[in-house]
Amino acid sequence: MKTLFFIDGVRTPFCKMGTTLASMDAVELGRSAIAALLTKTGIDPAVIDETLFGCVGQPADAQNIARVIALRAGIPAAKPAMTVHRNCASGLEAITTAHQRMAAGQGDVFVVGGTESMSNMPLLFSRAAAMKFAALSTARGTGARVAAMSRFRVQDFMPLIGLRLGLTDPVSEMNMGDTAELLAREFGISREAQDAFAARSHLRATQAAWALEREIIPVYAGGVHRSTISADNGIRSDSSMDKLAKLKPMFDTRTGSVTAGNSSQITDGAVALLVASEEAVALHGWKPIGRLVDHAFTGCDPARMGLGPVQAINAVLHRTGSRLDELDVIEINEAFAAQVLAVLKCLKDPASARRAGLDEPLGEIDDHRLNPCGGAIALGHPVGATGARLVLTALRQLHDTDKKRALISMCVGGGQGAAAILEAL
Amino acid sequence: MNTLILDPTQDPAQDISMRTVGEHKPAPTPSAFRRDVDADGICRLTFDAPGSGVNVFNEDTLRELDSQLDAIESDTAIRALIIRSGKERVFVAGADLKAIRALPPTKLEAFIELGQSVFSRLAALPVPKIAVIHGACVGGGLELTLACDHRIASDADCTRLGLPEVQLGLIPGWGGSTRLPRMIGLQKALGLILTGKLLKPEQARKLGVVDQVVPREHLEAVAQKWCKPLACTGRRAFKPTACTTLPILRHLIAWKAKRDLIAKTRGVYAAPLMALKVATHGLGMSVRESLRFEREALLALTKTGEAAHLIDLFFRKEEAAKKPPSKGHAQPVLHAAVVGAGVMGAGIAQWLASHGVQTLMTDVSTDAIAKGLSRVSSLLDEGTKRRAMTKKEARESLDRISTATIRVPLHQHQLVIEAATESFELKKKIFADLANRCPPDTILATNTSALSVTELAKSVRNPERVIGIHFFNPVHRMPLVEIITHAGNTPDVIATAVVFAQRIGKVPVVVKDSPGFVVNRILMPYLLEAVRMFESGTPADGIDDAMLDFGMPMGPLRLLDEIGLDVAVHVGQTLVAAFPDRLPKTGLLDRMVAQGKLGRKSGEGFYRHENGKPQGAATSSRRSGHKNPSLLEVQTQLALLISTEARRCLDEGVASSADDIDLAMVLGTGYAPFRGGPLAWLRNFEQTTVH
Repeated sequence: MKTLFFIDGVRTPFCKMGTTLASMDAVELGRSAIAALLTKTGIDPAVIDETLFGCVGQPADAQNIARVIALRAGIPAAKPAMTVHRNCASGLEAITTAHQRMAAGQGDVFVVGGTESMSNMPLLFSRAAAMKFAALSTARGTGARVAAMSRFRVQDFMPLIGLRLGLTDPVSEMNMGDTAELLAREFGISREAQDAFAARSHLRATQAAWALEREIIPVYAGGVHRSTISADNGIRSDSSMDKLAKLKPMFDTRTGSVTAGNSSQITDGAVALLVASEEAVALHGWKPIGRLVDHAFTGCDPARMGLGPVQAINAVLHRTGSRLDELDVIEINEAFAAQVLAVLKCLKDPASARRAGLDEPLGEIDDHRLNPCGGAIALGHPVGATGARLVLTALRQLHDTDKKRALISMCVGGGQGAAAILEAL
Repeated sequence: MNTLILDPTQDPAQDISMRTVGEHKPAPTPSAFRRDVDADGICRLTFDAPGSGVNVFNEDTLRELDSQLDAIESDTAIRALIIRSGKERVFVAGADLKAIRALPPTKLEAFIELGQSVFSRLAALPVPKIAVIHGACVGGGLELTLACDHRIASDADCTRLGLPEVQLGLIPGWGGSTRLPRMIGLQKALGLILTGKLLKPEQARKLGVVDQVVPREHLEAVAQKWCKPLACTGRRAFKPTACTTLPILRHLIAWKAKRDLIAKTRGVYAAPLMALKVATHGLGMSVRESLRFEREALLALTKTGEAAHLIDLFFRKEEAAKKPPSKGHAQPVLHAAVVGAGVMGAGIAQWLASHGVQTLMTDVSTDAIAKGLSRVSSLLDEGTKRRAMTKKEARESLDRISTATIRVPLHQHQLVIEAATESFELKKKIFADLANRCPPDTILATNTSALSVTELAKSVRNPERVIGIHFFNPVHRMPLVEIITHAGNTPDVIATAVVFAQRIGKVPVVVKDSPGFVVNRILMPYLLEAVRMFESGTPADGIDDAMLDFGMPMGPLRLLDEIGLDVAVHVGQTLVAAFPDRLPKTGLLDRMVAQGKLGRKSGEGFYRHENGKPQGAATSSRRSGHKNPSLLEVQTQLALLISTEARRCLDEGVASSADDIDLAMVLGTGYAPFRGGPLAWLRNFEQTTVH
């Protein structure tokens, strides 16, 4: 396949749900990211062939959000835009879709990325209530209207929480947290191990805060009183095993081990990257920062979606003929500490590997190569944006440390895994 | 002249106001009106003035309309009349002002009478008359439709209705002052006639000026529905209302309108007062008597200098705002960068973005950007509240602004406007940096209000592209932009700056680089003299009141408080350095600045300011025995200072004509427009004092 080059990338700060970015919706976040990318690169928006953006909880008032964002960021109306959705891997899907488009000769320059405002996930009416509203709207005459109104009950006005629905797998009918609990039980991942991994994430992110800030473009939230937001706000520099141990399990409240502290944070944020073909790079005289070597998406049991990276990593290594120990930076998205630890176990331990469907283990990932700047437990996981954030963070780290190759991987709600190999240029 | 007169055409070459009187002489043939009668007896009269983008009423077109009415009257097959325009964006743009200006006074009365009689004749036609309005329908154009039974307007953006005569020192004289109050009531009619404001179609429908608003494509079909006999549709015109029957109510409304008018304009303008009188008293008369009253009042107004000056300024403004530069090739500016996100930078960025320019606003810190964006947002908020723009337009404007605190590529931008702090060293550094980063043909403009553009150009490679584009504060309010040129500028660069200013809806006046340029230089001696008067014992509000009565929008000392005394001192220093003997000597400003009295921003200057509003005037403690000069003395002394400095500017060739200077002062400072500007006033003053 032809190579896809990364020209540049930016992201908004990642901020916890309901905090500083809550006033901006997913459109506004995405628009800020693309506008900043265009400003930073100084490219003529007319050279962009298509905008591909990931977003998991697409706002009801911005269907095909990629198109809305592209137009509002000043990309010409004649250039198409498409929203992609592969749950937690949507931001990565935008990049791989661009790669395939480009390889198929359908465009040379793409703006890709992802956006998510988890603060703005909607509250919904139940289906039963919606039917009653529909009946009311078609009722003719006062009597019929009164009758239609009288059918409403108090519970009809109890909203369904869009965020909770989104984080529940409809096939296994398990909440994402419950799938993590399942892995913790099956692979014997202790509460202590999970908390230690969470504390590590915060520690790494704290140490790398200055480096992370170089991925970030400042965002000015608010109307007539703007405030500057230029740093991620989920990182706890004072995180410790003791503090994490105090938290109660969130999903299996009696005997479970998955807490808010050892899970990824619910966060707002957006990422935008400029990617292009070799021809476009030569034509415009751009200096790419890296290239996408290859990628793989694989499926797994939805109830054990957290194991997704195992098969995906296996697939991408096979496709590229590489070995795990050849990779300098490895980013595995921290949906849950339990899930990442289960993946690591499956990669190195023969018995676990077989349970995850591998013939033999792929190898051990030593600590200094894994999520060197922390992960979603500290930085947060704006679901539609994270895939692109991993690519941006990995490329930046390769440049900062003068290294060559990175692997990024993530589990995907619904039972999938995603993995990609990047190379710095 | 605070409200814009609607632009009748988008194409300046098509605009009759761009032409000289000599050119505008419609040949007797071809005809300006087309008449078709269909099988149903519906007569369609299409006004389509040959060889012009607009329809206007002059003697020829009025006579032609008259003869069309002859034909319609004698054709018994006609059972309804639809009047429409053949122009793309104009229904009728009113009376032909150029032609009116050229008429000798003796002929003027006949011209007004002709219009009245033709429209009265139209009104008297026994068939239903329907005006189909698409595009500008102003002044005499609206008066034509008032003589019809029904008005249907298109919902297009270019459709605007109004009676802007008072803005030109005139009153509606072809039945507007008589028929509109009878049709929509006195109060609503005064709201239109006294302000001259133009209505969007939907507003016009709500006021009852038009009966229906429909998409342009449906106008014809809807017009036909109104072609039923008048008895069926219910004729709207002239039902007696409480206002016509109750003189007390009428006079109460008039009294209130007059009070508001005086509060707003201090009664210095004759036209609105006259319009008020005509509209109010006219309601108590028969239509015929009222029309005569209207005619006489209009004739009296045309003899005043007010109308002549206002019409003159209107033409000059139109010309400056639209006429392509005579030399040079203008490069289109689609992307611009503004360096500095302060009050001026943010104001400029907002204005550019609201006029379709992709704008990059840069500053050194994110805090400065946050403040700048807050300002942009509040300007847009204010704009939507004033209904100057829709929420959608405000959002689009905001989306057009991008920001940066780092050095980002600038090769997309055809123009960079520097609006940093007024420090020569800082600006020099910014320009050197910009020159290195931008392609050699990017225009580098400064928004300086006092520093030398010539000197700035010297510090840069390709100095021919350095130019001054001086916006006035507040940017969204002040229509003037001074284009400051230096000897090294190429015609292309000047043309680009001029056309750019025109495209964003500002009025450019090209001036030569010289200390203070035109507006600040002329204003400064006046302001300093006012300070000197205050220092010698004249109370601040006394000075300010005198100049308000002169017709200034704000007294000089209030203005200083608004500008900021520190800024005034800075501009003053530049001018004192350049013209040491010419400025009134006063140390008061420096002392006040030293005491921290900076005007509105510090809460105290010549007035105490609370919540941004002036409360009480400060009094000068010096010379208690000082005899206060009279109102007229203050006015004359201060006005003379403005005018003398204006004349010096003209003599030194800072601006290319007296008209340019007058226009700049009216648009840049609000100098009493009915006086025509400082040089027009001076001519007048010298004539009256010599003889």
